[in-house]
Amino acid sequence: MSARKTFKAALLLGLACALTAPAVAQGDSQRQLAAYQHRVQLLEDQLAVENLTATFGYYFDKGLWNQAADLFSAKGAFEYGQRGVYVGPARIRQAMLLFGPQALGRGYLNNHMMLQAVVTVAPDGRTATGRWQGPIMLSEPGQNGQWAVGLYENDYVKEGGVWKIAKLHFYLTAKTDYDLGFAKYALQMEGPSAVLPPDQPPTEVYRAFPHAYLPAFSYDHPVTGQSLKQLPMAGDDIVGRPDRGMDSAPAEESSAAKGMRQQ
Amino acid sequence: MMNRTLFVAALLAAPAFLATPALAQTTAEKLAGLDERITRLEDMNDIERLQRTYGYFVDKSQWTPLSELFTDDATLEIGGKGIFLGKPRVLEYMQKAFGPDGTKPGSLANHMQFQSIPDISADGKTGWVRARAYVMSNGGWGLPLYENEYRKENGVWKISRLTGPFTMYTNWGGWGDWAMNNTWPDKFDPPPDLPPTTVYLTYPAYYIIPFHYPNPVTGKVFKPDMDEVGAYHRPPGTQEQMDSLKVGRWVDGSQPIGEPPRD
Repeated sequence: MSARKTFKAALLLGLACALTAPAVAQGDSQRQLAAYQHRVQLLEDQLAVENLTATFGYYFDKGLWNQAADLFSAKGAFEYGQRGVYVGPARIRQAMLLFGPQALGRGYLNNHMMLQAVVTVAPDGRTATGRWQGPIMLSEPGQNGQWAVGLYENDYVKEGGVWKIAKLHFYLTAKTDYDLGFAKYALQMEGPSAVLPPDQPPTEVYRAFPHAYLPAFSYDHPVTGQSLKQLPMAGDDIVGRPDRGMDSAPAEESSAAKGMRQQ
Repeated sequence: MMNRTLFVAALLAAPAFLATPALAQTTAEKLAGLDERITRLEDMNDIERLQRTYGYFVDKSQWTPLSELFTDDATLEIGGKGIFLGKPRVLEYMQKAFGPDGTKPGSLANHMQFQSIPDISADGKTGWVRARAYVMSNGGWGLPLYENEYRKENGVWKISRLTGPFTMYTNWGGWGDWAMNNTWPDKFDPPPDLPPTTVYLTYPAYYIIPFHYPNPVTGKVFKPDMDEVGAYHRPPGTQEQMDSLKVGRWVDGSQPIGEPPRD
């Protein structure tokens, strides 16, 4: 046998030996498979929650209050700014009428964009939380347009294999007139309605821009693992909330704010 | 001789195949391949969350947890400010340029993180995201892009390079009236460790940061025209852009920047 042929034969022999070597035990394969199924399930759950929330946004934009309210669980809660908490799809449906008639109408713009999702699905796959960025463009008949922005910190629950909104909490943080802008004007939030009082008062009392409220993060720091619920925040004298974790030095204009005005 | 060799090899190999461990081996291989694919999805998810969390920290001036998203040896380059080296300098840049940690009354500085395109290297150790920040602030509007790099250290993803060139910055008067041309190293404190990688002007001038990924359909790599250091007066390839390379320049393409102002 030439050296080359011997090599070929050895290769084949080697292959045969490799194939006869004991494969991964059946039990290990099953365990691996179960672990992978769980990881894929969590990714699918995250996507389902992202789609659910984005869908809420599309319904809410167009005043499809009935459709939006159907996305909540039976005990689901809806809290928008300082309007208080409405519980259950029937009450939520009514509360949304405070934003305009069903399907809105001429002269209304109600865009609530649901963006920058950080969704965290619980390891057991039954509940989830989500932080979202919510830029807003508004108009009502006879009024000028408005810009606004805020954060969502939502809770979700999986019931009968379907993800639903357990709590939609929108923290409106800034609102202004379209033409004047945040440099010149700040609008405050509506309080609880006298016509349709909420089921519960606002869970957190705060004021929008120029005040500086920081809604707690539902998830921990992705690198350090530390809680993000008590980050430094300016207080509010009317609410009686002191500064938290702030440098006591008086605030002065930052170097960038000065520098950015140069050309 | 040849035939005989093959015959012997076949004899050796055949019983191995008949014993069917080949099937079990294939399952193990399939499982390993599945693990890689799931890990890749999880990794892409993780670096998107990092980038979105970076944005949430910028919004509320949370510089310490922001700096903890970075590797110890990370670099940061924003606008035309130059490069900052290492995690401590990332923190120093943020705190000196924008003020101490914590939300500030009268300040709105939302850097909303949208449109991310994540990618992970074949070895699973490096990641990249192209994304945009949509800045809504009391100063006006801004449009930075990002082409960032991420590194997996002990199973945890961190930002290893943040590169955030500006597309456009304007005040509440709007970009029809005024736009900032860019930042530069000594525009505001603190000074950078290294000069900018690219000198360019923002809108109404034109700069394209290279894409970390090829065209997803054609597979072609977009190559910026580096003859003019990636900075454009008009879209690349247009006659106006080609003509602009000759305006105010010597025949070798360099600019007569040494002349003092006339007035």
